[in-house]
Amino acid sequence: MDRGTIYNLILLICLIAVQILICNHIHIFNVAVPFVFIYVILRLPMTLSTNWLLTWAFLSGFIVDLFSDTPGVNSLSCTLMAIAKRPVLYAYIPRDDRTKDIQPSLANLGFADYAKYLLTMTVIYCFLVFTIEYFSFADVKEIVIMASSSSVLSFGLLLGIDSLMVTKRD
Amino acid sequence: MRYSAWFVFAFYVIISLLLLVTGNNYQRSVYLTSANIVTGSVYKGASQVSGYFNLRSINRDLQANNALLQNEVLNLKNQLAQYRVLASDSLLPITYSDRFGYVAAAVINNNTSHPKNFFTIDKGSKDGIKSGMGVVDHNGITGIVNVTGPHMSRVISLLNETQHFSVKLKGTEFIGSLCWKGGDPTIGYVEEIPRHAEYNLGDTIVTSGYSTTFPEGIPVGKVLARVKSGDDSFFTLKVKLASDFRSLSTVRVIKDIYKTEIDSLAEFDELKLD
Repeated sequence: MDRGTIYNLILLICLIAVQILICNHIHIFNVAVPFVFIYVILRLPMTLSTNWLLTWAFLSGFIVDLFSDTPGVNSLSCTLMAIAKRPVLYAYIPRDDRTKDIQPSLANLGFADYAKYLLTMTVIYCFLVFTIEYFSFADVKEIVIMASSSSVLSFGLLLGIDSLMVTKRD
Repeated sequence: MRYSAWFVFAFYVIISLLLLVTGNNYQRSVYLTSANIVTGSVYKGASQVSGYFNLRSINRDLQANNALLQNEVLNLKNQLAQYRVLASDSLLPITYSDRFGYVAAAVINNNTSHPKNFFTIDKGSKDGIKSGMGVVDHNGITGIVNVTGPHMSRVISLLNETQHFSVKLKGTEFIGSLCWKGGDPTIGYVEEIPRHAEYNLGDTIVTSGYSTTFPEGIPVGKVLARVKSGDDSFFTLKVKLASDFRSLSTVRVIKDIYKTEIDSLAEFDELKLD
C-alpha cells in the first residue's frame, strides 16, 4: 500500500467516526443531517480504477450502515454516487493529459470548478439517501426538503474539510 | 468504463439491495446491527464520554420521579396494611411487583433522525435480555428489544414508523394504538380511539397492559390535540411523548415472569387454529 492509500484510509476511519458519533445525531429542524464521510470517496485520485473506487464507496457506506442500523441505505447510495464521480467531474473540467490523473480538491481544481463538482456530488448523494430511506414513508415534498437542506449543510462542511486539508499540506 | 467495472458495480448494487430488502426489523442475525461486538464496543467507549452531557437534566428528572415514588410507596404501604387486616396474605393475588422484574441498562447509541430508529443498550442475553421485552426510562416507554447479542442488545425505538403500541387514556378503558409518524421526535399519535371516548387536553396516555411487553399504566405521553381521522367511528390524538428521545441515557428492560407461559399459550392456540 502506498502512502496516499494509507492516508486516505486513516482519513476515512476518522470521518466515519465523526459521522456515526456526531453527524448522525445532528438533525437540524428535524430535516437536515450532515454527511461528511463521503469526502474520501470524492477526494480519491482519478488514477484509481473504477473497481477500487466502487469498493471504497461500497465499504464506507456499509460500515456507516452497520453503525446507524440502516442496512443497505448508505452502501447503495455510495455505490451509485461513485459511479457518477467520473462523468460529473469531467462535465466541469476538460478531460486532457493534465486532468487525467487529477485528485479532485480545492487546490487542484480552483474554487469555482471544485465547488460545482462538490455540490453536484453532495446533491446526488443526499437525494439518493433520502429517497431510498424514506421511499415508502414520506411524500416527495418532504424528501426534497430533507435532501436539499442536508446537501447545503454537507456541502458547507465538506468545503471546510477540504480547505483544512490544503492548509495542512502547505 | 471497462467491462469488469460494470460487473463490480452490479455486484455491489445487488448486495446493497439485498441488505435493504432483508434488513427489516425482525431479522434474527445480530451481526448486521449496531448490537454486534465491534459497533457495540465503539458505541460503549463513546458513551462513556457523552454520558456526562445530560447529567444535570437527568438528575433533576430522577429527583422529581424519586419524590413521586416515595409518596406512592407510602400510600401503597398504608393501603396494603388495611387490606392485610381484611384478608389473609395467602389469599392475595400475585401483584405487578411480583410479576414484572426490571434490568437497568445504559443506552450506548441512539438515533432519532431516521424513519426507522433503533437504540443500542449495554445489556444482552447474558443478563437475561430477550427479544420482545419492553424498555422504559424514568419518564415512560421507549421501545421493544429487537435482537440480542451476549452483552449488547438493539432496541426498536418508539420512534420507528413500523412499531405500534397498545395504549389507553389514563383512568378509562378507551384503548388506542400509539405510533410515530416521522419528523419531530417529541410528538406521537394515538390512533383508533373510539369516537365516544371522552378526554381533555393534557390528559395522560398510559400503556394498556394488553400484552406481556409492558405492564399497565406506564406513562406514554400527554394529549396535545385532536387530529382528523379518515374513519368516522374513530379519532386520532396528537400526543407529546413522555420520554425525551434526544437524551436517552439509562433505561430499564421489563421482564415478565409469565411471558413464556402466555406466549406458549398463544402459540398453542395458533397451532390448534392451523
